[in-house]
Amino acid sequence: MNDTPHTKALQLFSQSMVEGISPADQAWLDAHLRECIECAREVATMRELLSGLRSVPVAVPSDLAARTQLRLRLRAQQSIEVSSSNALLWIITAASWLLGIFSAPLVWRGFAWVGEWANLPKPVLEFCFVLWWAVPALIAVAAVLHQRATSSRA
Amino acid sequence: MTDDTQLLAAGLRRRDPEVLDRLIEQYQQRLYRYLLFLTGNPALAEDLFQETWVRVLERGHQYNAKNKFESWLFTIARNLVIDVSRRKKIASLEDLGNPESEQSYDPPDERSVSALQMLVTRENEKTVQLSLLKIAPYYREVLLLRFHEELPLEEIATVLATPISTVKSRLYRGLEALKSALPGGAA
Repeated sequence: MNDTPHTKALQLFSQSMVEGISPADQAWLDAHLRECIECAREVATMRELLSGLRSVPVAVPSDLAARTQLRLRLRAQQSIEVSSSNALLWIITAASWLLGIFSAPLVWRGFAWVGEWANLPKPVLEFCFVLWWAVPALIAVAAVLHQRATSSRA
Repeated sequence: MTDDTQLLAAGLRRRDPEVLDRLIEQYQQRLYRYLLFLTGNPALAEDLFQETWVRVLERGHQYNAKNKFESWLFTIARNLVIDVSRRKKIASLEDLGNPESEQSYDPPDERSVSALQMLVTRENEKTVQLSLLKIAPYYREVLLLRFHEELPLEEIATVLATPISTVKSRLYRGLEALKSALPGGAA
């Protein structure tokens, strides 16, 4: 099978299966296969092999599609619930930020009064004020992280 | 881009349960078969089947109607197989994500072959199909995509994220490997 026409015939056959060959090559191959019993036998084996590959009768578990459909519906429902609770979370966070911005002068005055009364240094007061201002964002982040952890476990 | 794929993309974007149900029904055989022959493990194939559709649900908005749905579906499934094989350290499947390792491959043990054997229903086709499990996964998957799923070379290249030339060379080598894997190294 090392002769050039036989090697060429088998290469052309593989090529025809993988990517196709030109009509001229196909005609040459057909003519060669009519004459060469050995190549014809090898090609027949390959054809049988590929036909076995094409017809794979694998039995899909009977309830797999139904189980998957149910799982997707539950997941979709869960996503709707999560996105609506996310929206609520963002609304509350935005409202609390706005409240924080508009009430900042008043709150700062309150902090200053407490600082004067307790004799606290200014940096401590400033730190507490920033912390107070950041609380809504920290709560929002904690809620989002908790929600993500819960949904990834589900 | 056909009207069908545009409708499909719109359905996926709005997570239409009817569209998803229809797709699951339509592709269950092909997707399960692909996963089963890639993993050689029916239980894992079932898990990955469900996980693939969960990803279709969650990433439906990413589907581009210019591409065929099946290419996108098989890409998701393939990426999941690679993820799972990395997490669970399934060495034979890690090769799917590592084309550099095309030189050597140890075939799976008899247990995974016999698990698959239970699902293959026609006796005269078992030999060829079980031989598939004996060849390296990167050859197995191109053969599956080309000859089971009958995907064009361009789509296989999309699924595998490799150039067409690589797909062709894997197909030629895969056919040779499959011939050698047949009982008595047939052909």
